[in-house]
Amino acid sequence: MSSLENPFVLWLVLTAVLAGLAYAFIRKELRTKAVLYGGFLLACAVLVWPPYEMNGKPGKLRLGLDLRGGMHLVLQVVIDDALNATTDDAVQYTRDQTTRKGITLSAVTRTSPTTFTVEGVEPARVKDVRDVLRDYLRDGWELREPGEGRFLAQITEPNQRQIKERTVSEAIKTLERRVNQLGVAEPVIAPHGSRGDQILVQLPGVTDVEAAKRVVQRTAQLALKLVEDQAPTQEALLQAFQGKVPDHLEVAKGQGDTPGQPVFYLVRREAIITGRDLKSARVGIDPQTNAPDVNFTLNPAGADKFKRATGANIGRRLAIILDGEVFSAPTVHGQISNEGVIQGRFSTQEAEELAKVLRAGALPATLRPLQELTVGASLGRDSIRSGLMASAAGMAFITIFMLVYYRFSGLNAVVALLANLIILLGAMAYFGATLTLPGIAGVILTIGVGVDTNVLVFERIREELRNGKTVNAAVKNGFERVWITILDTHATALIAAAFLFQFGTGPIKGFAVTLVIGLIANVFASYFVSKFLFEWVLGKSQAATLSI
Amino acid sequence: MEIIKNPNYDFLGKGRFFIALSLALILGTLALVSTRGLRYGVEFSGGTQLIVRFQNPPEVDQVRDAVSKVSPGAVIQTYGDPAQNKVLVRIGGHEGPAEGQGALDKQVGGQEAPPEAPGALDKQAVQVREELGKSYAKNPVTEFSSEIVGAVVGQELRSKAIQLTILGLLFQLVYIAIRFKGGVWGAAAVIACLHDVVICLGFLAVFGYEITLNVIAALLTLVGYSVNDTIVIFDRVRENLKLHRKDPLTKVLNDSINQTLTRTLISNGTTFLAVLGLYLFGGEVLRGFGFTMAIGILIGTYSTVFIAAPIVVWWTEWQAKRSKPGAKAA
Repeated sequence: MSSLENPFVLWLVLTAVLAGLAYAFIRKELRTKAVLYGGFLLACAVLVWPPYEMNGKPGKLRLGLDLRGGMHLVLQVVIDDALNATTDDAVQYTRDQTTRKGITLSAVTRTSPTTFTVEGVEPARVKDVRDVLRDYLRDGWELREPGEGRFLAQITEPNQRQIKERTVSEAIKTLERRVNQLGVAEPVIAPHGSRGDQILVQLPGVTDVEAAKRVVQRTAQLALKLVEDQAPTQEALLQAFQGKVPDHLEVAKGQGDTPGQPVFYLVRREAIITGRDLKSARVGIDPQTNAPDVNFTLNPAGADKFKRATGANIGRRLAIILDGEVFSAPTVHGQISNEGVIQGRFSTQEAEELAKVLRAGALPATLRPLQELTVGASLGRDSIRSGLMASAAGMAFITIFMLVYYRFSGLNAVVALLANLIILLGAMAYFGATLTLPGIAGVILTIGVGVDTNVLVFERIREELRNGKTVNAAVKNGFERVWITILDTHATALIAAAFLFQFGTGPIKGFAVTLVIGLIANVFASYFVSKFLFEWVLGKSQAATLSI
Repeated sequence: MEIIKNPNYDFLGKGRFFIALSLALILGTLALVSTRGLRYGVEFSGGTQLIVRFQNPPEVDQVRDAVSKVSPGAVIQTYGDPAQNKVLVRIGGHEGPAEGQGALDKQVGGQEAPPEAPGALDKQAVQVREELGKSYAKNPVTEFSSEIVGAVVGQELRSKAIQLTILGLLFQLVYIAIRFKGGVWGAAAVIACLHDVVICLGFLAVFGYEITLNVIAALLTLVGYSVNDTIVIFDRVRENLKLHRKDPLTKVLNDSINQTLTRTLISNGTTFLAVLGLYLFGGEVLRGFGFTMAIGILIGTYSTVFIAAPIVVWWTEWQAKRSKPGAKAA
């Protein structure tokens, strides 16, 4: 019994039984065909069994989001974030180098995500600046000198494209790690759309949609930076600098001790450690307040940097910044090597989510949601029920009609239809195609159109009979004459279905999949299987009448 | 059993009448679409559509009161089988079926424009959910489905749909032209098909159906099957042209239509039955799909018989006249 659990063994046994039956009941010249066709149909049936969850065994048909519930997100990667970061790095480097070499200049500014300018270089040092820039901007940058001590640098087109591709693939990898932590089965995370900056995220069966969205979308860029000053408003903070943020510093906002009153911090632009230096993160409990917090440990390189920085800055404050917001700014009491704590007003769930995204790493850029689809599980079940109802109704309508109109030959068409259905479902299970609600519509349509092939043949047979042909000749001619027509009609329908694919993922693709498989299955079922059935029933004898 | 015994109707003789009828329908559709516009589903217009299931049968008015606190102008209606306690909430985009009138481009530049800022896409959905929990707490929400589409995505999808339909038709044309060794066959099949799609849109507009992705899928499928139908007749013409070389094209075409008439009626009849099942039992999501397919099959059958064949005849006659030297037209 247990060996029958193996689908291949099961198929072999069933086919052997079929071969035995064929030997007993089918005449010699049709036996090979009978076993071949029957074996194929049995293979399809075994592939798809059980089609849905039965006795705790998972169903073979993969159901789409619209049928089983879950979440579908299309996210746009804000490439400008990555470009800004690249340009900012170049600006920072230029400032550092020129300062170190004692070159006076009036400003280094980023003018767009891909460009920055250097202005007011003292004439004597123009060459030195050129060397600094040339050295750093060797690859992927274009440098121009309009004169008067000005430099213009721009990221080249190929480099922009490269940054874009890298950002998107990095984002996809990060999302994969995060989704792994959510424990979703069969997630889809893939590039989407033709512009190359969109990502599709499909999480079937997710129940807490809001939590899943937060985990997916949070940028989670962590940075620990030294605090220079702190004030309740940005103006107060910048008083000492005539309202302008100095080059090596930046302003970050954070929650203050009283809710609703933000605090502004003036911090070093350069981070001591970032999310990349993390080894892991987990939820902990603050022993003083009993509130949840997030503990992190650093990798060896990060720990080394952290040890040096904390040792040199005892007594100063260190801002823990996540996605631009200061979560806490504890004072460094001593040298720390490889551990840290992020405190905030977290709930346990928030702390857990934060630990998850920190473990999975930061996204290289902000993700902006473009499209969002969530389907509750029971709404999916409603859809399955109406889909099944509609299929049953369509099938019943057609069966009754064909039996009434073509009598015994109608039965032939109905058998062919069932064969078509079995092949369709078997192929879907084999290819792992996803069944969606429009996909079910595609199945029903296949049923309707599958009959067309039978009708074409039957009408032709009737015509031949009217013209006085014998039954066997009429059947033979009927099938032969419509072959070309069947090829042409299926080819045009396939062309139309191919364009449906272009809509990309989602329910419509499911529809196109069932349509394409159904069309191909139909040629086999309604033509070859049906022809075989006629040959078998009519036999070698010259039957005088045909029930058609 | 046979529905028609030895049909022998003069389809081409009445060609002018049916062409006029079709032209009237097409012009009517164009007028309707240009004045009233088509109503697009949320995936094309952008906006938020929620399906909320309540524990008990919901009072739609009270749900509307609660929702309008956070989203004034939202459309609220019972969704699907009333026994399933489901309510549809539509925010942004156009006004939805309750108001009847389609206002396709209202969202452009208006205050209803869906949010596009990062993280704000689902703001309205979250607000509605919270507000329902507060103001309509006596009937808890048991399930919540949402479809939220940014306006940009919707517009992209719309142009993609049009592009794909046209490309699909072009490919059909090329295929048929190659298979039948003549552009006129391909052109006739494709014109008949285009005719079906346009008139279908007209029916969708008249009956107030939204253009959703499913409807577009139905239209693209119709493109395939309408051509399919025409090909069956053309194939028969090709066969008959070989058998009866002396007969004029008009007679061959007419005979071919008659010979395949039963098949045309039966095949389309069974497909129509299958699609009817979808329309009646397929639930709310598939209703538009079922309607489009059902109407499309009816129109497709009509155009196969009355539109595609006359085009071939006229085109061929016109070509013959033009190529004849000394003819009046020259």
